[in-house]
Amino acid sequence: MRTSALVLALAIALLAPLGAQDEKPKTVGGCPATGSLAFHTCAIEKAKTFTPPRTRSGKPDLQGYWRGQLAQSFSMEGVRGNEPLVGDKVMPWRIAPPMIVDPPDGRIPYQPWAVPIGRIGVNYKDYVDPRTACGGAGVPRLAQQDANQIFQPDGDQFVLWLFEDHHVQRMIAMDGRPPLGDGITVTNGDSRGHWEGNTLVIDSKNFNGYNWLDDSGNFYTDTAHIVERLTMIDADTLDYEVRVEDPKEFTRPWTMAWAQVRVKDPGFELLEEACREGQRDVDSLLQQGFKYYFGNPWRERAASR
Amino acid sequence: MRYGFTSTLLAALLFVPSVHAAAQTSARTSDGKPNLQGIWQVLNTAAWDIQDHSARLGVPAGQGIVVGNDIPYTPAALAKKRQNFANRATADPESKGYLPGVPRIMYMPFPFQIFQAPDQIVMIFEYDRGIRTIYTNGTPHPRGPLNFWMGDSRGHWEGDTLVADVTYFTDETWLDRAGNFHSDALHVIERYTLADADHIDYEATLEDANVFTKPWTMRMVLYRRKEPNVRVLEYDPGRLIDEANASR
Repeated sequence: MRTSALVLALAIALLAPLGAQDEKPKTVGGCPATGSLAFHTCAIEKAKTFTPPRTRSGKPDLQGYWRGQLAQSFSMEGVRGNEPLVGDKVMPWRIAPPMIVDPPDGRIPYQPWAVPIGRIGVNYKDYVDPRTACGGAGVPRLAQQDANQIFQPDGDQFVLWLFEDHHVQRMIAMDGRPPLGDGITVTNGDSRGHWEGNTLVIDSKNFNGYNWLDDSGNFYTDTAHIVERLTMIDADTLDYEVRVEDPKEFTRPWTMAWAQVRVKDPGFELLEEACREGQRDVDSLLQQGFKYYFGNPWRERAASR
Repeated sequence: MRYGFTSTLLAALLFVPSVHAAAQTSARTSDGKPNLQGIWQVLNTAAWDIQDHSARLGVPAGQGIVVGNDIPYTPAALAKKRQNFANRATADPESKGYLPGVPRIMYMPFPFQIFQAPDQIVMIFEYDRGIRTIYTNGTPHPRGPLNFWMGDSRGHWEGDTLVADVTYFTDETWLDRAGNFHSDALHVIERYTLADADHIDYEATLEDANVFTKPWTMRMVLYRRKEPNVRVLEYDPGRLIDEANASR
């Protein structure tokens, strides 16, 4: 009996993204669905002429259930046809364009020390994906495929972004309150938001650095500063832009983008995806020699620098 | 209206002593319901034992939250409770970092925050990133059978009291660290009543024919956390357990 909710959640988590990918729409929100760059370039223009609905207090109303599109979990840098994992017998990766829109080459501008850790490097080869270990996918991987909900409660002091993925939530303070002190870190950062025109801008720091960006072990650390921009481009589509800045890990700020598409199934609600309570994978991975992540590879590297 | 004290002199008198709290919440939401929004936390010892108990090493003494103190266990369930108590160090689901269920998460010694809109009330818990959504849009429980660690919550307002009906639990959560427990037939009816700007009278009635001979009720006060810039942070027990084991 106890497994039914987990099985249901897993079935949804596994089947829904496959279905979404197999449909292969030519456009998303009236913009090209060929890749993040084409979509995002078009979406920025489209947002200029679209007037979003308003909440009763007059803010842009982004509320509802959403699901990432033009997103895949394998690598933010995209998947090229010649990568060995494309032909993997157990879980073949799909060829996909980069989700990185800046720099133009679609590659994460790592500093040299970080290259062998990310990009199917030390993280991927030696560590349990923190999402598999029930840590949650982290910002912004959370918003790739599983259903999410934007909730704008009464009073406009917070915007909530809730994720089915491992019951992860983000409380985005909208009232200009002081940030958390440097001595406190949390998995998904201290998120403070404001409206720039019709765009919800989320500014986050104080990450604990335990998150990966994707299945291939690309990563950021506890010194990252992430700025996300959510803009409605039609009634059922959000442009989602994520800018990562960390002079200690990257040579320059860089930006990802994809779409959030409204989930319109009648009666849809987020379900509970308990993870730790039912997971049976981690012990086997530990026995195979994989280690818990907790930011160890870059922490050790940082200590010797 | 943002500061909530423009309407009547009485409201002004109530809110003036704490401008900070007043700035955080009006007494009513925009649809006229009592405004439960804010950060709340219990000040009791129910997390250790929901019944009257003397101090034990590491456990503060406490007066219970069970109305009348006695829990009407069936004889078999009472034996199970005693067994749970004896084995509590390892048998308590809390020790594995699992979601604590409802109502247990309400009286964990951690803050939680209530967010409110006409169609739903969302609670975010510092403990284990817990989320509860109490739908107040008139929808019924979904068709079962279903088992959720935190149950399925549907609410409505009875006057100024929020009443939540919670069902579809697992049999794997406990009610405290002393081995009090329930089965997956648990049905909880919660009542949230704002006593004043900074206190919620919270009541939960538990029915479970597999374990209890009749329904019983727990009652406690939720206190508003009033420190400037107080925030719900993160206590992820599963990750902390894994991290402690990994570093050994």
